[in-house]
Amino acid sequence: MGNDILPKEIIQQFSDSPVSINMGDKNFGDVMVVGGGVSGIQASLDLATAGFKVYLVEKGPSIGGHMAQLDKTFPTNDCSM
Amino acid sequence: MCSGRVDLEFMLRAFSKGQDGVFIGACKLDECNYVTHGNYDALANTYLTKKILAHIGLNPERLRINFMTGADGNLLAEYTDDFTKEIKKLGPLGRSEGLDVNKVKFKLEAARKLVPYMRLLERQRLRVPVKSKEAYAQFFESKEINTLFDEIFSEKLAISQIILLLGEKPLSTSDISEILNLNPSEVSRHMKSSSRQGLVKYDETQKCYALA
Amino acid sequence: MEGKKGDFNVSLKTKPRYIIEDKCTGCTTCVQYCPVHYPDPFNQDISDNKAVHVYFSQAIPLVAYIDDSCLRLKDKKCDICSGVCKTGAIDFRQTTKKTDINVGAIILSSGITPFDPSAKEEYGYKTMQNVVTSMDYERLLSSTGPFEGEVLRTIDKKHPKKIAWIQCVGSRRVTEGDNSYCSGVCCTYTQKQVILTKHHYEDVQCTIFHNDIRSFGKDFERYFQRAEQLPGVEFIRSYASIEKEIPETRNVIVRYATADDGVKREEFDMVVLSIGLNPPAAYKEISEKFGIELNSHGFSKSDSSNPIKTNRPGIFVSGAFLGPTDVPESVFTASGASAQTGELLDYRRDKLAKERVYPIERDVSAEEPKIGVFVCHCGANISSVVNVPSTVDYARTLPNVVYATEQIFSCATNSAREITDLAIEKGFNRVVIAACSPRTLEPLFRDTLREAGLNQYYLDMANIREHCSWVHAKQKDEATQKAHDIVRMSVARAGELEPLLEFDLPVNKAALVVGGGIGGMTCALSIAKQGHEVHLVEKAKDLGGMARRLHTTLEKLDVQTYLDELIHKVYQNPLIHISHEATIKEVSGYLGNFTTTIETEGRIKTIKHGVSVLAIGAEEYKPSEYLYGESDKVFTHLELGEEIARGNKAIINAESLVMIQCVGCRNEDRNYCSRVCCGHAVKNALKLKEKNPDMRIYIIFRDMRTYGFREDAYREASEKGVQFIRYTPEDKPLVEKAKEGGKDVIRVIVPDLILGQRLELTADVLSLAAAVIPSTSTNEIASHFKVTLSPDEFFKEAHVKLKPVEFATDGVFLCGTAHYPKHIPETINQAYGAAGRVLTLLSKDTVVASGSVARVNDYDCVACGACISACTYDAIEFRDTPKGKKAFVNPILCKGDGLCNTKCPTNAIMLKHFTNAALLKQIDAAVTSKDILEQMDAVLEEA
Repeated sequence: MGNDILPKEIIQQFSDSPVSINMGDKNFGDVMVVGGGVSGIQASLDLATAGFKVYLVEKGPSIGGHMAQLDKTFPTNDCSM
Repeated sequence: MCSGRVDLEFMLRAFSKGQDGVFIGACKLDECNYVTHGNYDALANTYLTKKILAHIGLNPERLRINFMTGADGNLLAEYTDDFTKEIKKLGPLGRSEGLDVNKVKFKLEAARKLVPYMRLLERQRLRVPVKSKEAYAQFFESKEINTLFDEIFSEKLAISQIILLLGEKPLSTSDISEILNLNPSEVSRHMKSSSRQGLVKYDETQKCYALA
Repeated sequence: MEGKKGDFNVSLKTKPRYIIEDKCTGCTTCVQYCPVHYPDPFNQDISDNKAVHVYFSQAIPLVAYIDDSCLRLKDKKCDICSGVCKTGAIDFRQTTKKTDINVGAIILSSGITPFDPSAKEEYGYKTMQNVVTSMDYERLLSSTGPFEGEVLRTIDKKHPKKIAWIQCVGSRRVTEGDNSYCSGVCCTYTQKQVILTKHHYEDVQCTIFHNDIRSFGKDFERYFQRAEQLPGVEFIRSYASIEKEIPETRNVIVRYATADDGVKREEFDMVVLSIGLNPPAAYKEISEKFGIELNSHGFSKSDSSNPIKTNRPGIFVSGAFLGPTDVPESVFTASGASAQTGELLDYRRDKLAKERVYPIERDVSAEEPKIGVFVCHCGANISSVVNVPSTVDYARTLPNVVYATEQIFSCATNSAREITDLAIEKGFNRVVIAACSPRTLEPLFRDTLREAGLNQYYLDMANIREHCSWVHAKQKDEATQKAHDIVRMSVARAGELEPLLEFDLPVNKAALVVGGGIGGMTCALSIAKQGHEVHLVEKAKDLGGMARRLHTTLEKLDVQTYLDELIHKVYQNPLIHISHEATIKEVSGYLGNFTTTIETEGRIKTIKHGVSVLAIGAEEYKPSEYLYGESDKVFTHLELGEEIARGNKAIINAESLVMIQCVGCRNEDRNYCSRVCCGHAVKNALKLKEKNPDMRIYIIFRDMRTYGFREDAYREASEKGVQFIRYTPEDKPLVEKAKEGGKDVIRVIVPDLILGQRLELTADVLSLAAAVIPSTSTNEIASHFKVTLSPDEFFKEAHVKLKPVEFATDGVFLCGTAHYPKHIPETINQAYGAAGRVLTLLSKDTVVASGSVARVNDYDCVACGACISACTYDAIEFRDTPKGKKAFVNPILCKGDGLCNTKCPTNAIMLKHFTNAALLKQIDAAVTSKDILEQMDAVLEEA
């Protein structure tokens, strides 16, 4: 299985959250989150859902972090994507 | 939608449309992510439909339910392969069982009409008190349940078939008993009870029964 | 970065991608033509990628980038990609872009770096081809990995038949270049890799060389047993080293020792190094730039009373930068950081963030179904197997289909725009996306429909990837045929879809927190500090919970002082209303609108609230073994800690003290590890050594589970002379009363696994690591709030990894030891995490309820009650109507499982979006006209 990058819930929220990823013209935000791994993504989503404008900064070409590289997760063997 | 939404009617409909096998994939038993454990309902419905298939003369192995999690893609593949092999071995619906395909479809259609009744029956007589795979197997495979089911179901299926037939054209008791291959006395008993219930009426002039 | 909390100025440099993101469709044509092969970092350099490539197939954003190996960037030689890109997305003029951003707070979620074993020659990594790291092995196992999920040796592409894992690589070692701490995740990820390997290849021999097995997390103990019980899997407790590579076969010799056989050498086809977690590579830079302090290991230096905050106000840390952590902690510390940011910036909430505005929905209910079909290539995931153009052609022949086309990635932003535009241009009113499973992307496509002014329930997804291309890779023609079938069925259903309304429910902005321990109080305070009323309900007379009995922690927190301050803050907060001696009588309602009735100090009180947090804690097991309760010399670890704090002379002046670990758990009755006891034992031992350095202390253990930085304390205890003696559950220590030199003592007889003898220890005090067990009120509370329990009878979270602080029941959250035993700093983090998730609901005025719920047709309802008994959510009730008593569905409580639908004898109740009409159409469409012809032929033949 497992070819869908981010945890499904995250994508779901991503699609309708006011998260500005990385760039934006208006450079005023409420919070900057440094690192786009599972923790940074979760923090961004929670903050955005709770009414804050978030800048998520990631050094690599994609968000997802190390979790995106994992095949499955213990102890349920659920897909990590 | 939960696997418990998989209706008796869905399974029977698929067979009556000529599918040789029906496979139901459900979440693992006792590992419901909610509080419903609706996969046990799917399991009960599968048992019931298997009984109906057997009653009609079809191999109940044509219907299968397997349980797996969302992460068990490989299991799904394995189960599907296995089931496909099984169905290939069984061959085309009805014919491999030595039955007339049209008759099979007719019976399935009649059975499908009984779904509302089956739901009542399930609620009153066929509900398993303990939710475990073993308890379900023991219950549905027990002699008592089989006898109970056969008695009730053969009765209801006969009536349902008669109603379906009469929907096409009025028929006499002997016509019916010939088409359905039923004992004439049995047919006349069904006809009497059905006319009492106002389902059918007897046409004196044509000497046959029609839908009321 | 400069500034202070509420006003930070950050200057960012964005490296050029050399790709215009808006123009790139992720089609990967450029990748095909790029001449430069370059080791793919996503696949751990095992396979190659091109200088221009998409980082991985589901990258976000799904656009290509060009890296330093590009010929053009090196010496302006090549320009192939610009030529082949149809959208003109390649742009070599891009330069590093500087952006200045002003924010009120910063969260550092910099994660970890996997330990690099190539730095140390002894690991043989990079010098021996068949020595790989666990991270490499993850990629080998993955279907998107270098060999598409086949575990192969890179050198000869052979399947390894004998694989060894070596644990603790880079961890639990004080040697130069290694880490002294335990990384905490390697034991269990190795078990995962073993389970997956055996799943792929039954005949592979798996050998794991390990030290302690640290299955301290929820359900880990069972997971370990599952791995251990697989045939052909052997766990060997031994230090193991890599001796050499055999030149002919490139196999690897591993040297190890066992108690029975002494030193042994064994040959393996592949060796996996279970590498630990290092701090982020740029930790020094992060610390300097953001002005935050680090601990000696390079992770964020945390205050154990609130690990998420840093020394610099307004800057928080989440995830593995706090220390080596697993995914759930990374997730709930993220929510925790969000909560603490919310406390700080509550005044500016909703000022900058904008809600999305959708076009007004077109009413198409009077129109005939007009269906648009989009068939996705999914890069090559689908199109390398299924003939996509033929599927598009086929779709055009289906009834009601007015338009069909193919897309490279239907989920890409530009594809979504195409769907929206075409829906308007071609006027179709229903959409079928033939792509992947709806599980992941259905929300995205529903959003696309909304953008097109269509009701979002006019969408159906035909899964031609997981159900087709992925499983029929070798049968392309049949797979294409099957894709046609799936699309036909989907189109049949789509024609029957109805527009559904999702409606907004008002949210009561108060929270109920059940349990006044550290977890409950921390969570309540954080919610209150973000402007919401909190009702805190505690069953005891006083607040404090289990922490009342704890005095110190390994992190040297003065628990009682901390607790008193916390309680003080809770009492001082005007938004927190506390009920003492309270029991819950009844809970009704649902997300946004709960009503809870409690009895508190003899009075009945009704509380209205929008969300609930269950922080009811756990209890200590009362041992029935090892003379507990029969001798005044036997204590539990918790009691021992209390006695030490009280200054009990009999204990502090004892000559000899024995501790026995794993009492009441890791057994048949409780098949889990209580997680905290090894740390407690070490903490108490160190405390006693501090007070009485001459005391002989023995810790009799099964596996020492001092994960994370606690490993340093374990080592310290060992250095200070605390003796650690291992036992197995088959041969437990024997404990008896005895007299020695005229005084009463406890004699402990324990097998010495190394020397094969029996040791007799004489103890003045015996302390037992009594299990942490679920609170006695767990079951009752669970049934009130309709939440579920895990096999060990702790609360069961909605998802182990991704939803660690919420229940499957909407609007109900959890934290603390009610979820699973945990240390105080972990409870604090999780409590903030729950507060963070609570705020995602309470900060809004409304929540949206799904449109796919059951509905009753009054006319057909015979009020038999079959649906009511089928519903586990109490969503259906009888209501009096002008037509008499009828079933009524509360759409807010309905979860859309549809069980009622299959029970109703009159088909009066129906699950919207999954109606009989739509599903039967789909079932009917499973039969092809070809099938029907064949069947007719067969009948004719017989006749």
